[in-house]
Order: sequence, then C-alpha cells, then structure tokens
Amino acid sequence: MKNSRLIIIAVALLICAIGVMSIYSSTYQKEGRIWQDIYKRQIIWMALGVIFFFLLSNFNYRKLWDATYPLYVFAIFLLFLVFMLGLTRMGAQRWLKLFWFNFQPSEFAKLVMVIFLARYYSTKSSFDVGLSAARLNLMKGFVLPLLLTFIPVGLIIEQPDLGSGVMVLLVFMAVVFISGVKFRYIGSFLGIGIACMPILWHYLRGYQKERLMVFLNPNIDPLGAGYTVIQSKIAIGSGGIFGKGWLSGTQGQLRFLPEAHTDFIFATFAEEWGLLGCAVLLFLYYLIISEGIRIGMRTNDAFAKLLAFGISMMLGLQVLVNIAMNLGLAPVVGVPLLLMSYGGSSVFVTFIALGILANIDKQRSVF
Amino acid sequence: MRVRAVIIFLTTGFIILSSGLVNLQVIQHKKLKEFSDRNCIRLIPQQGCRGKILDRNNKIIVDNSISYDLLLIPQRGLSVEASLSKIAKILGTDYAKLKSTYKQGYIAPFVPITIAANITTHQAIALEELKSDIPDILVQPHPLRRYPYGTLASQVIGHLGEIDHWRLSKLADYGYQTKDVVGFGGIEEKYDYYLRYKEGALSVEVDHRGRFIRTIGFKPPQDGKDISLTLDLGMQKIAESAMAGRRGSVIIMDASDGGILVMASSPNYNPSVFIEKDRSRISSIFNNPNAPLLNRAISANYPPASVFKSIVSAAALETNKINLSTSYLCTGSTKIGNRSFACWDIHGKQDIFDAIAQSCDIFFYKTGLLLGPDIIHDYAVKFGLSRLTNIDLPYEVGGFVPSRTWRKIVKLRNWFDGDTANFSIGQGELMVTPLQITRVTGVFATNGLILYPHIIKAVNGKPVYVVPKKPSRISLKASTLNTIRQGLRKAVSDSKGTAGNLASAPVAVAGKTGTAQVPKGMSHGWFAGFFPFDKPKYIICVMLENGGSGHAAAMVTDEIISAIYKENIL
Repeated sequence: MKNSRLIIIAVALLICAIGVMSIYSSTYQKEGRIWQDIYKRQIIWMALGVIFFFLLSNFNYRKLWDATYPLYVFAIFLLFLVFMLGLTRMGAQRWLKLFWFNFQPSEFAKLVMVIFLARYYSTKSSFDVGLSAARLNLMKGFVLPLLLTFIPVGLIIEQPDLGSGVMVLLVFMAVVFISGVKFRYIGSFLGIGIACMPILWHYLRGYQKERLMVFLNPNIDPLGAGYTVIQSKIAIGSGGIFGKGWLSGTQGQLRFLPEAHTDFIFATFAEEWGLLGCAVLLFLYYLIISEGIRIGMRTNDAFAKLLAFGISMMLGLQVLVNIAMNLGLAPVVGVPLLLMSYGGSSVFVTFIALGILANIDKQRSVF
Repeated sequence: MRVRAVIIFLTTGFIILSSGLVNLQVIQHKKLKEFSDRNCIRLIPQQGCRGKILDRNNKIIVDNSISYDLLLIPQRGLSVEASLSKIAKILGTDYAKLKSTYKQGYIAPFVPITIAANITTHQAIALEELKSDIPDILVQPHPLRRYPYGTLASQVIGHLGEIDHWRLSKLADYGYQTKDVVGFGGIEEKYDYYLRYKEGALSVEVDHRGRFIRTIGFKPPQDGKDISLTLDLGMQKIAESAMAGRRGSVIIMDASDGGILVMASSPNYNPSVFIEKDRSRISSIFNNPNAPLLNRAISANYPPASVFKSIVSAAALETNKINLSTSYLCTGSTKIGNRSFACWDIHGKQDIFDAIAQSCDIFFYKTGLLLGPDIIHDYAVKFGLSRLTNIDLPYEVGGFVPSRTWRKIVKLRNWFDGDTANFSIGQGELMVTPLQITRVTGVFATNGLILYPHIIKAVNGKPVYVVPKKPSRISLKASTLNTIRQGLRKAVSDSKGTAGNLASAPVAVAGKTGTAQVPKGMSHGWFAGFFPFDKPKYIICVMLENGGSGHAAAMVTDEIISAIYKENIL
C-alpha cells in the first residue's frame, strides 16, 4: 500500500523540519560558523536519510532475513572498531570517523539487533506454521538470545553510552514480549535483574550514578548533574501554553539549558512553542509509531510482524524515554529524540528503519 | 493479546508525557516562568545623589561630588592590551600599572574590573567617547558626600554610614535594606527619608555565564530631596571659630520664629572620615574622651546655675512674694538652717534689678525660701524645663527639674531649706540643656512667648511648615517681664553687671551669666541673652563646659556678636 509510505515519510519530514528549526534556534546565537551551520549538516543527513528511506522501501525486506547474521557480525565489528579507532568526545568514545562525517555505530547496532531478534524469534518450527517462540525452552527461548544481545549491549555501555545500551535491552524485552516467549522466563529475568541491581550499581560510572541519584532528587546537586534537569523543566514550564515564540526562548538561546540541540531539544522546542506545539509534536510521534504497529498487525509474515513491532517499539521507546527525561520523569540517559535531536547517525538510521517499515507494508500486497 | 498490551503501553506512555507537559506548562508555569526570568535577567542598581543640605540662604553646607570609576569587562575577547593602552593614553597613566591593576582585579570573564577609581569628569567624557572603539569599558558615576566646610556644624548635619541592625529593624518597613547608606545623627538621620535617593536600576539580559546580551529596561534613580536649614552659614562659621579649642556649645535663635541660626557644639568632627572609611580615624572619633559626636546644644544636661535666676525672679514677681522695692543686704553669706550659704561676692543692698545684674546669690536664697520649692518647680516647668523642646533633631534630652515629691519617692529623703536655696540659684539636681535655656531666654526677649525651636526651613524649596507652628504664650504680667528684661540689660550695661564686658558690643545686648559649680574640674560658664535690646531679634546662648565662669562665656559671646556685626551678616 502506497498510503502508509506516504504517511510515514510526510510525518517524518514534518518532525525533521520541526527539529531543524529547533536546532537552528538553539545554536544561531553561538559564536563560530561551525555552531551556526550545524542545522545545515542536519539537513544533509536528513536528505541522505530520505534517499535511503526510498531505497529501503523498495528493497525487499526478506533479503534482510538472509543478511541477518552478517549484519550482526558487522555491527559487533563496528562496535569493536569504535574501541580501537573511535573518536573521543566529551569523555565518551562513540564515534567512527568515516571520510567527512562521524558515525555512531551504536545507532546502527540498535537497528541490527531488532532485525536479528526478529529473525531469531520468527524461526518456524517444522511441526506447524505458528511461531515457535512460545514453545521454546528457557535456554533457546531466552538465555541464548539474551547472551547474544549482551555482546553489543556490553560494548555500547562500555563506550560509555548507557542510554543506547539500555535502549537495546528495552527493545530486546519488547521483542521477546511480543514474540510470545513464556511469561515466566521474562518474569524471572526481570526478577534476577532487579536482584542484581546493587551489584550492577558498582559497575556504573560515577557520573551515571550521579544522574540516577539526581533523577530521584534533582535538587541534591543543582549546579552539577541536577542542573540539566532543573534547567530543562524551567525551559519547558516557562513556555506555558503558547510558548515564547521561535528564537525567543531564553533558556535555550542564552544557553542555560545544556545540550539544547541534542538530547534536550524537546525542552528547547517546548519553551518556544508551548503546550500547543508540544501537543502537535506528540501527535506526530504517536501517528508514526502507531502506523508502525498497524503495519505489524496487517502483515502475515512472522518475521515482518516482529520486525515491524520491534522497529515501532524501538522508535516509541526512544521518544518516550527522551521526552520523559526532558520532563524530569526519567533519569538523564543519553537518548536522542527521534528525528529532532542533532546527530546524523540517529536521523539516518531512523529513516532506514522507517524505510523497512514502509517496505513491509508494500510487500504485503505482493503476497 | 500481547500486541494489545504493547499498544496500551505506548498509549499510556504518551498520556503520561502529556500530563507531564500540562503539569509543567500549565500548573507550574508561573513559578517556572519566574525561574526562567531570574535566570537571565539581572538588575544593576543605579545610584542617585543624596539630597543636599543648604543654609537659610540656600548656600551649600553639604553636597555631593560625582566621582567616576572606570570599569573594564574582560569577556568579549577583544584585545585587552589594546584597550588598556588606549585607556592609559587618556588617563595619562602608565600602561604597566593599568595592566597590573587589571590582573589583580580579574575574577571572571563577566565581572567588570575597576581599572581606575575617581577619575576626572574630563577623563570620563573622553572615555565615554572611546566607547565606540572599546565597547567593554564602563564609566560609572559614583556620587560621594562632600563636606566643603569640613567639621562645620558636624553634629547638626550628622554623618553617613552603612545601616546598622537596630536601624534596619526599625526602618525595614520604609524600604530600607541591608547595606543601605543612612544618616547617623543630626539632619542626616532625622531627615534621611527625604535626603536618600531612590535607587534606579538597569535590567539587562545575560546568558548562562552572566555575559551581557542586551538592555531590557532602565529606571533612572531619583535623587534625594534637598533640605534647607534655618542655619546661617556665616554666623555658624563665626560661632565655631570662637569656640575652637573649647568644649561647649553656642546657639543663636531667631526671636521671631524660633529658627536656629547657629548651633555649634565643640569639639566637632569631620564627617568625611566616615565616607573615607578610615578605620583608625573613625575609632579615634569614637574614643575621644571629649565626645565630639555629642551635640552639646541638645544632647547634654548641665546645671543652669545663675541663668536660672531669671525664672526664680519671674516666679517671685508673679506671685507677689517680692516687688520692685524689695531689697536684701548681701554680706557675703547667710545662714539657712544651721548651714552657712555663701554668695560669690559681697554685694551690699540689692534690689531685683541689681540682683539679676550682679547675680547676687543671697537675694535669690531669700527669694527662693519665700517661694518654696513647689512654686519654683512649677515655674521652671512652665518655662519649658524638664521637657523636650521637640526641635527637629534626633537625640535631644530633656533635662530635669527636681521636686519635693520626687525627692521623697525616688530618693527617699526629705526636702530641706538648704535644697530650696540651692534650687533658687540653679544648682543641685536641676539639669537643663542649652537649647532649653535659649528658649527660656526667648520668653524675656519676646515678651512671654515659648518659641518652637526648629532647624529645618524647607524641603526641596518648599517650606516644611505650611502653617507655622505658633509659639505658646506664658501668662506673665507685662511688669514682671519688663522688670526682668531691665535686670538682664543691667547685667550688661551696669558697670557692676556680670556681663559688663558686653557693654562695648556693637549692639545693645541683655543677658544673664551663670557659673555652675561642678563636682570635678572648673565650673561651667553660661551666658544667655538677646539682642538688640530694644527690638530683640536674636537669642544667644553660650555654654562653656568647664569654661571657668560665666564671664568667660560672656567673653565668647562678645567675640561672636562683634564678629557678626563686623562682617555685617545681619
């Protein structure tokens, strides 16, 4: 169906346009051409993303089935490469320098893991046509994929990029849930996970612990880790119903809000456009995600179903976590806002994921 | 089924986000908007000028000098060296010196550094013009209290200082804040509310590091109101130079309305010491045993001694205890009870005129005994003793008039005739301030009026007393007043009069001397009188603390009156 592809690309481009406007607003007062030009870079990535969207939407997703394991290996290879050759920025080694641009393999790995898990759980048993996941035992149905997920997750968290790592884990949980793995496996995993919290706590870095503590009470460190949350809330709240107007948000413009063009772009937007703007934006996100879920429900192919649900959940969770973090409802973990935050890799990978979604709906009519 | 759970999960997520948004943007909007404004709006206070203090002819007693400070904001990354060398050229100072001041003053990129303080107006203008080249410089006017006459009338004026806890607790309701500069003592304190400027403010928008972005608004400061006093600058100067090196006070009051023309208290101090914040000089003022901060004209109690005799005379004449033909023989001493009370001289036969003129103690012992302490007390109070004159200056004290009841209740002792005798010559427990004595003398100068002493004439050119405060009249017989006036004149004109030295004054003066014995040191000397005698225009009171005698006070009075007439001020 052409219809869903049109909806997806139209909504995605609208969100991108809002994002570019907000990036422009948050950076145009900064000194230096590099800052003032980053919205142009975002447009380039966007254009590239749109091209790949159309490429992928015409590229039979079933071929991904075959390419799953090479893709998985390639993603892990890239993550290792980050450790070897990665660029270090702001204390984290997350980027690979490719020709003229920097690429974040963790974004790529997120998508690959969705494809990987979709394939893993859509393996048909030889006995019947249904999904076998529900009948898989603990080892095959849960532990093995979990271990295979932990390889990239561990590599991502070590970068360190807790946000993306946790994101992949959440996507894993979502796919496992949808695929029909027995509740008790999921339940016991969650139980063990919670029981291990105090031990995992030790492995977190100082600033990550701080962020979690600050989430519980931002006022314990108003100038340090709590600063961002406080300023973000001030930015969003001071926008009120109608907002301060484009280019007039003092929090973003005068740089009280850190990361105003990346992780906290939602706050920048909310300050300038107010509750009305936010309602529109949330509606657009809801539209694109529910479109993804609907595609998953429409298709009959098990792999496609899981792929569509997985991608939708990946996108949906990113949106929810990022905005919740902006509102102070979730701890500050580095999760970019879908299609809005400045960052080429994220935009690029998101468009590819949307392209896959569009293709799934297109292939449906073929069957 | 599980898909449905996912949809519910996502939808719930979006609902939570929406309610979070409503919470911040609608419910908490007001508070967070305020936070946002506080983040980026800074108020830079703008000082105004404190009101000037002028004399009765609007000559400046205290005003303000504008000093300019030059500040440099290092933030914008322009070459500091280039700016400094340009500034050095204008100021005519050494570049290296400016550079070191800059380095020492550097705190943060957005904090302005005072490069040079107290630069001249010319330099300030030249630097203002430089602003197009160097936008980082800031020339800030900074008004400072200026005392062109130094110590002149210092206790009347008062000095300035940072508000203390006690004053702040009283004045917080009137908009005073910590660190405010307020008056201490004198006009500066009493009329602080008029004199103080209303702070203005420049509101600017700053970024997250406090760097200036743009000006949002400006409210100019309001200068304080000027206060004109009734003081006469020329007369004040004369009185103060006559008092130089002595302790005591001089008051000259306008007999027509009670306006204070001169109020000098010696020793005095230089209020500019408090502006310069010179700690050692400030503490030397506070530790000076002669208490230069004390306004001796209104804030110190003294025994009035013989100047009190005019009140006793008035009481005796008014109650017909004596008449014009009553006379007593002064043999140098008299016995009251079993004690001998001495006169300061042997005067022989004395009537009321002679007794006032020559200040015969014997005459007043006997008159006083005729009157009794109650009548003397009542007349003393009638003449305004033991209560404040309510002059518009702070820290006035009221003196004290003893009575039999007080003696009985407070001191648990009886009143004896000896006490009455002492009371009659203004000794003992009786205490007055020089201003009260001035007012008492005014009664005789004005034929029975109790004047309202005041020192404020106008605020910002508008008279303070729209309806002039009417003096109250003491019911005294014209003959009584006339008799005492004659006596007071005789003290000057008679060769035997105690203020005989004033006979040569360029104007006919009448008055009464007083020599108050004090437990320690030399006697206090008083002279309280008025001039010209025929149509009194001025009332003068000179009080010398441990000055020896009333004669000495009369000498000072002569000096002052002669100088006033010589300089033709009246």
